[in-house]
Amino acid sequence: MNERPSSDPSVLELLPIANARGIETVFDRYKTQQPQCGFGSLGLCCRVCWKGPCRIDPFGEGPKYGICGADRDTIIARQLARMMASGAAAHSEHGRHIALALLEISKGKLPDYKIRDEAKLLAVAGKLGVVTTDRNILDVAREVALITLEDFQNQDQHKPCNWLTATLPAKRMKRLGELGVLPHNIDAVVAQTMARTTVGCDADATNVILGGIRAALADFDGMALATELSDALFGTPKPTITAANLGVIKPNAVNIAVNGHNPLLSEVICDVAKEMNQAAIEAGAKDGINVVGICCTGNEVMMRHGIPMAANYLSQEMAIITGALDAMILDVQCIMPSLPRIAECFHTQIITTMDENKISGAKHVSFHEDHASETAREIIRLAIAAYAHRDPKTVNIPNHKQTAIVGFSAEAIIGALSLLDAADPLKPLLDNIVNGNIQGVVLFAGCNNTQHEQDASFVTIAKKLAKNNVLLLATGCGAGAFAKHGLMTSEATEKYAGDGLKAVLTAIGTAAGLNGPLPLVLHMGSCVDNSRAVAVATALANKLGVDLNDLPVVACAPEAMSEKAVAIGTWSVAVGLPTHLGTVPQVLGSAKVVQLVTEDAKALFGGYFLVEPNPELAADKLFAVIKEKRAGLGI
Amino acid sequence: MQSFQENLIIYANPEKCLGCHSCELACAVAHGDGSDLLTAVATERPLHPRNRVVVADGVTFPMQCRQCEDAPCTFVCPTGACRQSNGQIVISEKNCIGCKQCAMVCPFGAITVCSDEPVSEDSCTNRGVAKKCDLCTEWRAKNGKADTACVEACPTKAIHLVNLKTYRKALIEARARELAQSHRTVRMPF
Repeated sequence: MNERPSSDPSVLELLPIANARGIETVFDRYKTQQPQCGFGSLGLCCRVCWKGPCRIDPFGEGPKYGICGADRDTIIARQLARMMASGAAAHSEHGRHIALALLEISKGKLPDYKIRDEAKLLAVAGKLGVVTTDRNILDVAREVALITLEDFQNQDQHKPCNWLTATLPAKRMKRLGELGVLPHNIDAVVAQTMARTTVGCDADATNVILGGIRAALADFDGMALATELSDALFGTPKPTITAANLGVIKPNAVNIAVNGHNPLLSEVICDVAKEMNQAAIEAGAKDGINVVGICCTGNEVMMRHGIPMAANYLSQEMAIITGALDAMILDVQCIMPSLPRIAECFHTQIITTMDENKISGAKHVSFHEDHASETAREIIRLAIAAYAHRDPKTVNIPNHKQTAIVGFSAEAIIGALSLLDAADPLKPLLDNIVNGNIQGVVLFAGCNNTQHEQDASFVTIAKKLAKNNVLLLATGCGAGAFAKHGLMTSEATEKYAGDGLKAVLTAIGTAAGLNGPLPLVLHMGSCVDNSRAVAVATALANKLGVDLNDLPVVACAPEAMSEKAVAIGTWSVAVGLPTHLGTVPQVLGSAKVVQLVTEDAKALFGGYFLVEPNPELAADKLFAVIKEKRAGLGI
Repeated sequence: MQSFQENLIIYANPEKCLGCHSCELACAVAHGDGSDLLTAVATERPLHPRNRVVVADGVTFPMQCRQCEDAPCTFVCPTGACRQSNGQIVISEKNCIGCKQCAMVCPFGAITVCSDEPVSEDSCTNRGVAKKCDLCTEWRAKNGKADTACVEACPTKAIHLVNLKTYRKALIEARARELAQSHRTVRMPF
């Protein structure tokens, strides 16, 4: 067990307050779950049918096979593939929601939404092969939406998903095609993965894992389309200065947190909150309405509107424990079901909004895009009403807040580089990689996990790699961790970056008018925005005429936990990136599956999983991989 | 003369035992080389539990050595490796030749002969030695633990390490309460 649950000073300040009041948080629940089941940790418990549960003896004396005859390899491979399918389902469901909204907008419906970034829509249309000259923007939107929805409908098994073809390098598509892992239809491969892993079906571990990889690539497809279409609808993120950690909650405002992943509701909340600011002031909150973000909905609105970030995954409960949060609005994914129980001890109104994501104890306000503003107004009215019940005696807002420069979409990064070389924006980046000022690039992604001291692994690995002149990108709860710990500032670059990296970030930052270097870690968005990093890597690979696995680019998920992270990690491997996991995946019971996702994956895809729970060692190993890739390129 | 001391007892409550085998894994790891479960499995350490979760007539709970006072295992051991010490049966592994007689005479089937070390095929010895529950004596001392590994691992708290004195006192008091209750109703006229 960790020596302390979190490295976030706000959490450390609020935990004793929660304990004194007998409020159980995620950190307490982690303790009550110890020791966790050894069979489950090793992946050796099978529950896919009701003959089970069956368990395989890890030490070889007891049962070697489940009742149906499945061995340890089959059991673990099936379980892992199902997690990949579930992750793919989550991201692509989010994507489908956005794509369907775009289709409706193109028909002139959904008056609360519009295409805010026409240039992005046209760029996307271009990538998807949609004719854009002399066409009405709504016509283009309609065709883009229909081509996108084809990725959920196409029944031709030989035609890969449109968004994959539009986003990955041709070399990578060829390699994946030859391995037979290109998805043709997101829904179909998720269903197929569930089908082949049910009792009595695919029992060849290698075949099962390859099937899972196809689902994971469908996850990439779903997330690429979700990100790009969200940009078209809500605007492509540009660098903006904001703040992070619980200190962003204001004592004299109606504080509303948006928590979850989908921007369709939170965007409208941000708009309506401005309209209703006066109502909050009239209710006695002299600072009006203060919208703050949690988890990836937080990242979405932080990137696009500079909305401050209150918490990432593991500290979402702490926002309520400040006693000053009047409402928390939930959409989908990574939302703790404990929130209404904690809110019972305070005045906080917990509001679920998606009909397929309810939590008992929360108030449900059904959200549909055709009545978006109306629903948002109803929710904000509830928040203002809750404010009247706030008990000043229970208010404890930690005085911890860090500046964060965020909003580094692929377009924003290319835009910043074009200030150095307008004709060839990638050239300055490539030149600096070649001359060694930048040794390589790491994408930090993934979750918080109670197995690790919250945020600590992210910070440790980042500082060590920055010192070694590795360019740091981040998404999801990793990005939240860096924002809260003050690593998304120019000062952090001055303090922690190696000389080469510092020189490059300073040149770009100065050209961009920041009066200092770019932040040490570039915030690329929510976890669904990992495709943004692939877009930058793809641009680099295409320019060099190489494949993604040739680049000195690695991924790092030191505190991974969700099924979405399993899917992301797997496509990251499949597109060719060495991918570090700080959490030991539940596969150690099968030496064969371990070999498949490490050594065999390296031979087949160029990418592979690298598991190292110790952050210091993980940083060394990742840097060694970057060196190896540089040697491969002869630089 | 040393006063007679009853050994600690691993008490299992069959109403709480779910048969999850977690106690077996914890036992095997506690008697390994100090690495945790994930490392032990990843490095293919051939570990062995000293307890066994059994199900008989619908009742499930772990069974292990009872530390018998008049132990058949100590009588049959040809090398004296298996003997009484401090109120427990101890097996000195360096003196055990792995003849399995103790395993055969144990009334509870609590002794297994096996090796926790990987053995090469052309080796002169299989390195098998008799293994059984040692009440985690060494492990508890080394790690400063009050409970055995199996007790710590039990998710439903079905297993407890109990001192017979405490156990007997609870038993006596429970029976006494019942008797007192019935005497109140009976009201014998003497």
